Amino acid sequence: MKNLIVVPAYNEETSLEETVRKLRALPREFDILVVNDGSTDRTGVIADELAHADRQRVYTVHLKHNCGIGVAVQTGYLFASQNGGYKYVIQFDGDGQHDSESIGQLVVACERDELDLCVGSRFMNGAGGGFQSTPLRRVGIRFFGLLLGCLTRVRVSDPTSGFRCAGPRAWRWFAESYPDDYPEPESLFWCLHNSMKVGEVPVEMQARRGGESSIDSLHSVYYMTKVTLAILCAWMRRREPAIE
Amino acid sequence: MNAELFMLLGGTIGFLLTLYWVRCRDLREKYAVGWMLVATILLLCGLFPSVIMRLADASRLSYPAAVLFVALTFIYGYAFSVSVSLTRQHRTSNRLLQQVALLEERLRRLEASDLPVSQPTTSQESQRKLKEECVV
Repeated sequence: MKNLIVVPAYNEETSLEETVRKLRALPREFDILVVNDGSTDRTGVIADELAHADRQRVYTVHLKHNCGIGVAVQTGYLFASQNGGYKYVIQFDGDGQHDSESIGQLVVACERDELDLCVGSRFMNGAGGGFQSTPLRRVGIRFFGLLLGCLTRVRVSDPTSGFRCAGPRAWRWFAESYPDDYPEPESLFWCLHNSMKVGEVPVEMQARRGGESSIDSLHSVYYMTKVTLAILCAWMRRREPAIE
Repeated sequence: MNAELFMLLGGTIGFLLTLYWVRCRDLREKYAVGWMLVATILLLCGLFPSVIMRLADASRLSYPAAVLFVALTFIYGYAFSVSVSLTRQHRTSNRLLQQVALLEERLRRLEASDLPVSQPTTSQESQRKLKEECVV
């Protein structure tokens, strides 16, 4: 079976080509899907050119307007669900932050430990140096780690990481229901709350090469409040059955 | 301007605005019914102030601030229902955007090459949810 790498991209014209070039160097069992999230620059054109150059492995989906990272990633899960033939779906940012060579480690960890979700963590022992976000964001990451730990009794070192590999049980559910914005901590909580097996693998990340972060300092207060509220509401919901 | 005249004026403007927006197709009849009910109550209160006085006496809410409180409660409830409706619409439009994007991708692949394209397998769960959301 193949695996699908979903690359959500919003105004990533400076980094997308390099990101996809590195992903194409991976074994042929990895298909690549670029989800152009209503970009206003040349991201869509570049994505089409990349797909045209390697039609067997690179696909492009264009959302008509900017819907947010959650909707873009969910489009990838829907693609996997509707086309079939995929075992793992890997979320990989288009801004050049993630290391394509770590994808193999995530997939191996999922297979070895039978994980439903494997998160690439910047803060685990062995993650090495690399970019570990700003001090303010690290406070937020630690807060969400503590919140998830209190609610699920599972320790997660990097709950906001957008570098993750989802197994069939998780991504089939994500294709049906996934948070619109700032989805990582909430979807991670959903997996833990529904007794899915979650693990982490140390990875190194780089500072973004292009594009803009969806969270600036003005939005961080909203981000913290919204995600905390979403997690607490999800905690109050009953456990949901898996989609086979 | 006394309270009766204010309610008459408010009711008339509310009525006319509701009709205007329905006529322009900016407001669905489903929501217009509620707003026309509000305008009608305002008009009736303006035309028959004795009714409101009797209601105030019966409910012991005879001071002006209480009327404001009742009105705000009503508006809060209605605004809240609009937020819920917007959330549902947002979810539906996102799902439709995703389906359009995925279908476009399939079409491009079919037109561009002889690559085998499997039959779309939109899950029954997904179709059911979309149908539910569209009904709402």
